Amino acid sequence: MDLHRKISFPRIARYNCAIKYIIEMGTGASYIMQPEMTKRTMEIGTKYSPDYVCTPFKSSLGSMIEALEAGADTILMTNGLCRLGYYGELQEQILRDLGYRFDFINLSEYVTGKLKDYLKAVKRIDPKVKLPRFLLALKDGLKMGEYVDNITEEYYKNCGFEVTKGEYKKAFRQFLSKMETARSRGEMDAGYQAALQTMGQIPVDKPEKPLQVGILGEFFTVMDAFSNLDLEQHLADMGVEVHRWMNVKNRMLHYSGEKNLNIKIRDLCSYEMGPTSTANIWCAREYAEQGFDGLIHVKSAGCTPEIDVMPVLQNISADYKIPVLYLTYDSQTSDVGLMTRLEAFYDMIRMRKRVL
Amino acid sequence: MEHAYLGIDVGSISTKGVIIDKDNRILSSEYRWTEGDPIGAVKELVRSLEAGFDKEKYKIVATGTTGSARKLAGTIVGATMVKNEITAHAVGTTTFYPEVRTILEIGGQDSKIILVENGVAVDYAMNTLCAAGTGAFLSSQAKRLGIEVEEIGDIALRSKHPTPIAARCTVFAESDLVHKIQNGHSREDIIAGVCNAVVANYLNNVGKGKKIESPIVFQGGVSKNTGVVAAFERTLGCKVIVDENGHLMGALGAAILAKKSGNRNEFDFSMEEMEFHTREVTCGRCTNNCEIICVYRNGQMIDFWGNRCERGANFK
Repeated sequence: MDLHRKISFPRIARYNCAIKYIIEMGTGASYIMQPEMTKRTMEIGTKYSPDYVCTPFKSSLGSMIEALEAGADTILMTNGLCRLGYYGELQEQILRDLGYRFDFINLSEYVTGKLKDYLKAVKRIDPKVKLPRFLLALKDGLKMGEYVDNITEEYYKNCGFEVTKGEYKKAFRQFLSKMETARSRGEMDAGYQAALQTMGQIPVDKPEKPLQVGILGEFFTVMDAFSNLDLEQHLADMGVEVHRWMNVKNRMLHYSGEKNLNIKIRDLCSYEMGPTSTANIWCAREYAEQGFDGLIHVKSAGCTPEIDVMPVLQNISADYKIPVLYLTYDSQTSDVGLMTRLEAFYDMIRMRKRVL
Repeated sequence: MEHAYLGIDVGSISTKGVIIDKDNRILSSEYRWTEGDPIGAVKELVRSLEAGFDKEKYKIVATGTTGSARKLAGTIVGATMVKNEITAHAVGTTTFYPEVRTILEIGGQDSKIILVENGVAVDYAMNTLCAAGTGAFLSSQAKRLGIEVEEIGDIALRSKHPTPIAARCTVFAESDLVHKIQNGHSREDIIAGVCNAVVANYLNNVGKGKKIESPIVFQGGVSKNTGVVAAFERTLGCKVIVDENGHLMGALGAAILAKKSGNRNEFDFSMEEMEFHTREVTCGRCTNNCEIICVYRNGQMIDFWGNRCERGANFK
């Protein structure tokens, strides 16, 4: 039996390049990159999912199927702090019932807080793994995730103001393809520095006080452009500086901790509220205090932690007089309804800014 | 020749049009059912507008379209301004009611609330994922009770004890309603209950968490229903203004926006004689399979949309 695994992970935002790096540079396994999510991914995901489950379950299931079709023999699935923590188990069962033959590594089974359990997961990926090599790849891979976040932030803040249409997108794509092919920390760093430099030189025509909108919400849908129907791009194209704190860098790598963040929002809510709720409430108020023109709250239908955030956002909206647009995503792939709401939101904050 | 401005609002249920002069006075207006044929409805609309319009005295220099078919309508009439219905309603209403603080709008498939401060919209919400508590619900219940949707208001106002009807969801409301009918509640009470359910649903869903302040303007097709107006006034405890042109407010807003923007393009009434048709094509250049809509005028493609990436951008 060939012990050399072909591993894949469901598509998530722009981070698969970092997962690929950790797997390929840190272990003896190879990584299978399935195609980016499309309408077909959602169709097959929806077809085999329970109807009332949240949309990330459906899209990640679809993406797993596309990974298996692309030749993966092992699916890696994340743990999670909400229902997501149970998704892997159910998705594995659905895929088995469909007749796929594969190995399933569900991180939910290993994330116990004990180091030796994490090691077990790594050993399952590659029993002959050399730990120093893996740890180095992990460190560098996470760095790549951070680079992706930094460039993504830079991109959405500025691409709506470029003088020549398309320059930012071109630089962004070049950067992402370099991250996907990087085989060393050096290549990764060079790609990052090059992107910073290229983007820094793109002429932009930005007013002194541009419209600023803060995007927040459920971890997966808010970061994944396919799932939120390219919300950030549409907004940027209208001439808005788009900010999004919620990403892997801020929520996972440099997170100050639930308790430390919760203490800052004690006047708004008494309890710790779940996976990203505390952070979103804190972040919404930060944006409001910085004088942002509006906030957009993104969630998939039925996301309980984010539904809990909404009443607090309504208070923030009233206290700071900042409009909040609430968007709920399901498995729809038409962006007509989204565009109506987004255009209206843009018109509103623009007219409002002129009057105030 | 004096300048005039055309505004067209193509909704799911009805199509509205107005021609205004530079002081926002209505020169000609028309309201008709869309009947699932937005192109046909727009052509008929333009024909009726033309009949009531003095072409010797005025010429239309700018055209605005709004409503869910705004893009399609905009293409076939050569609009200078295509605007979403939320902005159009806000602009239309604040032009005629500068003091307004809250705009309630219930249309055929959607409903929205717009909060206004100092004449500018500061917050809004629109129903998501569900058409509960909209005109569609009222007309299906009218059909069930064997009355015309236009009669609902008068019948509801005759009721002394409106029947409580579950308002959370259209499907639940409908089964609750059937049970109450079979239990022997009078028709007036049931109909008044339906009106209350629409209001309760609206306030629980769209109006949730929004501070509704007076003066309140209520518009959209459902505002013509006096039963729903009465239910709103009872629930909110204050007067609700319904403009006689409330159903035209989106079209008025579109015309005003077209006037305000500098874009000019003289409207040509001959479009009502032209042949328009659309064709849906699946792009097929990746697995996203974007549905691209092509619009043809007299057999010539004049516009297309629906592609999500540049692979479909030079589609022919």
